[in-house]
Amino acid sequence: MTGVETPAVGLTHGASEDTGLGHRGPESKSIVVPYGFWLFVLSDMVLFSALFATYATLAHATDGGPASNELFDRTLVAIETIALLLSSFVCGLAMIAARRRNLIWTQIWLLVTGLLGAVFLGIELYEFAMMIGEGAGPQRSAFLSAFFTLVGCHGAHVTAGLLWIGTMMAQFWAKGFQPHIMRRMMCLSIFWHALDIIWVAIFTIVYLMGTLP
Amino acid sequence: MSEHEREELMDVAPGAPHDSLMSETLSYIVGLGLALLLTGVSFWVASTSSIWGPGVAMGLVVLAIAQMGVHLVFFLHITSGPDNTNNVLALAFGVLIVFLVMIGTIWIMGHMNVNMGPMPELTNLQMQRG
Amino acid sequence: MFGRLTWEAIPLTEPIPLITSLVVILAIGAAVVWVTVKGWWPYLWNEYITSTDHKRIGIMYFVLGLVMLIRGFADAIMMRAQQMFAVGASQGYLPPEHYNQIFTAHGTIMIFFVAMPLVISFMNFVVPLQLGVRDVAFPTMNNVSFWLTASGVLLTNLSLFIGEYARTGWLGFPPLSEQQFSPGVGVDYYLVALQIAGVGTVLTAVNFVTTILKTRAPGMSYLRMPVFCWTTLAANLLILAAFPVLTATYAMLMLDRYLGFHFFTNDGGGNSMLYMNLIWVWGHPEVYILILPAFGIYSEVVSTFSGKPLFGYRSMVFATLAICIISFCVWLHHFFTMGAGADVNAIFGIASMIIAVPTGVKIFNWLFTMYGGRVRFNVPMYWTIGFMLTFVIGGLTGVLLAMPPVDFLVHNSLFLIAHFHQVIIGGVVFAIMAGYTYWFPKAFGFTLDERLGKAIFWCWFIGFHLAFMPLYVLGFWGGTRRLQHIADPTWQPWLDVAFVGALLIGLGIVLTVVQLLYSIKTRDRRLDTTGDPWDGRTLEWLTLSPPPHFNFAVLPDVHGEEAYWTRKQTALREEKLIEEPDYKAIEMPVNTPTGVIVAFFASLCGFALIWYIWWLAIVGLVGAFAVLVWYAWRDEHEHIIPADEVAQLERERRRIRKEQIQTWPRPA
Repeated sequence: MTGVETPAVGLTHGASEDTGLGHRGPESKSIVVPYGFWLFVLSDMVLFSALFATYATLAHATDGGPASNELFDRTLVAIETIALLLSSFVCGLAMIAARRRNLIWTQIWLLVTGLLGAVFLGIELYEFAMMIGEGAGPQRSAFLSAFFTLVGCHGAHVTAGLLWIGTMMAQFWAKGFQPHIMRRMMCLSIFWHALDIIWVAIFTIVYLMGTLP
Repeated sequence: MSEHEREELMDVAPGAPHDSLMSETLSYIVGLGLALLLTGVSFWVASTSSIWGPGVAMGLVVLAIAQMGVHLVFFLHITSGPDNTNNVLALAFGVLIVFLVMIGTIWIMGHMNVNMGPMPELTNLQMQRG
Repeated sequence: MFGRLTWEAIPLTEPIPLITSLVVILAIGAAVVWVTVKGWWPYLWNEYITSTDHKRIGIMYFVLGLVMLIRGFADAIMMRAQQMFAVGASQGYLPPEHYNQIFTAHGTIMIFFVAMPLVISFMNFVVPLQLGVRDVAFPTMNNVSFWLTASGVLLTNLSLFIGEYARTGWLGFPPLSEQQFSPGVGVDYYLVALQIAGVGTVLTAVNFVTTILKTRAPGMSYLRMPVFCWTTLAANLLILAAFPVLTATYAMLMLDRYLGFHFFTNDGGGNSMLYMNLIWVWGHPEVYILILPAFGIYSEVVSTFSGKPLFGYRSMVFATLAICIISFCVWLHHFFTMGAGADVNAIFGIASMIIAVPTGVKIFNWLFTMYGGRVRFNVPMYWTIGFMLTFVIGGLTGVLLAMPPVDFLVHNSLFLIAHFHQVIIGGVVFAIMAGYTYWFPKAFGFTLDERLGKAIFWCWFIGFHLAFMPLYVLGFWGGTRRLQHIADPTWQPWLDVAFVGALLIGLGIVLTVVQLLYSIKTRDRRLDTTGDPWDGRTLEWLTLSPPPHFNFAVLPDVHGEEAYWTRKQTALREEKLIEEPDYKAIEMPVNTPTGVIVAFFASLCGFALIWYIWWLAIVGLVGAFAVLVWYAWRDEHEHIIPADEVAQLERERRRIRKEQIQTWPRPA
């Protein structure tokens, strides 16, 4: 169940698997660590909400420059969306393999997750480059500043996620499925799924609503 | 206390799956399917002319929220069981704050834009210049 | 190679920053030499700098906050002096460009680097002890949080020696804070330092919310937690909710300044009102982040020194959570005059008045706790009663300001200044002093001198009223905030009184330092041998003073509210301690230099960003990332304290307590 029978008693090492009502004492690390990370992810969502609120306020502040319906390509967005969604799915498969301590499949699925994430990022960078090339860069207007920052912030998080995936693969290879490595995998999984949740909001509010006929 | 009873009392980490290989994989497959469906419908709603204009934005928001829910349930395994209470409460708090920040800002800034927009003389000047 | 950093950045032509810089550099140099000569570096490194012990980290936060209080107060007394001198024909001694930096630094330092660290210091030291556990949920992250805050402090203070500070006021409103109107390094120092410190603060919040919700002693259900833990929970939920908005807003301003974006600029479609909105979405919860733990400290002090359980525990909890939620619904009251219109103003005005209700509930609960109790007037109780008198009036002026029609007259006037200083000083600072005196013996094993403590209280209490009551009057007479020069000579007497008040507060601060040094010197007269000098009611008083590294040999079993009080009364009634437990080895987290090294690279990166030294910024960023990866690769996370050592320490504690059973008063 909890697994290792340690002779020593830490704060959350060898602790209880309580339902949070505190009756049996502190909960174990495998619960405490992902919960803390979940809280961090929620605070990150609040950060994005501030950026979304900014985008909504500035969506029409185009300063005579290009507006959303002139700039966004729905086909590219559709491909990005599928790529990120599939990468979320594959990350789930990686988690399943990791829980079963299958190194090969964990690494394969993690690699595919990373590659799909890289596809997403590549398309996004291409889109940004195109827009900047046409003179629709973030310095052109408040609307564009808001767009580049909101979508770019998400892209920066994806980039950080890719670095993390790479580090995770290295750690699995070097250290195997030790408890602290598994906890990090859990946190990575929460992070990666949360990124897709944010993307749902982005493609809906920014891209779809921005290009309504 | 029996294995089964202890398991029922176990609190669950957010994102931690709850059961066997088949059902875990199934959870992700169903989630993927639903998410793809909702994405497709969103794209369709945004391009069709058969839905009343103002309803499109509302429809897109509803579909987005539904898809976020799919992610939360099928990928992050957030459920309403007692072992998940802390996770759900944290999520509810986060959602409340997101709601307050976004709706509050949009409401306030909307009023500001109406009341505090550039005066006609200024706009005239800008248009003359620009 | 060095971006825009040149030798001109050093303020050789400005006497005040120059002399201050020299004095500070000499003082720091002297301290470093003294520590080196005494051979204290290994001790400091092992016992404090790399410590993951919440008690040590709490002490470091407190020292940081206290040192910054001196800097922030120096700014304050300079401002008071300037306003006193610069009336009518006189221009005072501070030109506007300098005065503006001082009031900006004063506000920024007091909120971010005095009040926050001091409040966080108590949360760190006290919460795990009160919850009956060994440490916070993430001890290494706790260490990193502290050092990131210290990095923010370092960068902010560097602006005194190298370059300049922002001149925008402590919130940095655009368009003044935009590149166009503040082209120097000042606003960049402000933004970068706060962004770095902000990361530390959010990590602290993750730590404490997790600790309180997921790690408590066996049997400690939510409604058996001490009220200080509830208020800490609420405050940290607010940090989690509010600080990301601050991070986003500052990031947007930085993008405007560094990359020419148009979020808040005058041109390009920018909207500076949006900044006001977002910054106050953070700003209002921030003050509740400060006051809620303060309320928690008062709850602990009042119940201990009245010898009674806190009146209305559940209503206290409910009031705390209500304040937590409502504080996120009132932010527009900071900009009633910006033009959202009457209906928006009305909603936020009503919400701002409603938030006074749960606060009132708390005040009544404290009063009812005292009523019928045997109140002991130790120093913490002085601060508490002083708080009740001061804060209530400050809160009332707040309700006045919550009415938009009134606010239109006194927005950004000296009336506002007096209001928020009243609630922050009367609420937060008094609580910090109360908590400091209350928990000092737990941290160091001896109490502070009482007589000096009372003198410090009177200096602050009288000094505060002298310094700020005149400002209410001047505010009604049309005095705006941040005035470098006063046109109306009839204000002179009021400004003189205010200056005297500030001097008195200054005396209070000096006496605080004197009290500390004197108490250390004469500590043998006031040793806390039992660990329970105040006849406490919560679990931190179960341990010896200072507690062992692992806090409790065995996590205490909690059977009711006031876990320690019931256990103590039972022991006194039965004239014996609980059964000696089975001693087990204890695992505690190892020390780590991760925090201080990450903060070093963060500071490097921050300094480089401010001065446009791009290659150095990348070095800093890569360095910070590398340290984290290096940390992630370690295999030894814990060290083991053998069962014998645990047993020895615990037996000593039990021996002392057994002796005390004979002398302590019997339960009624």
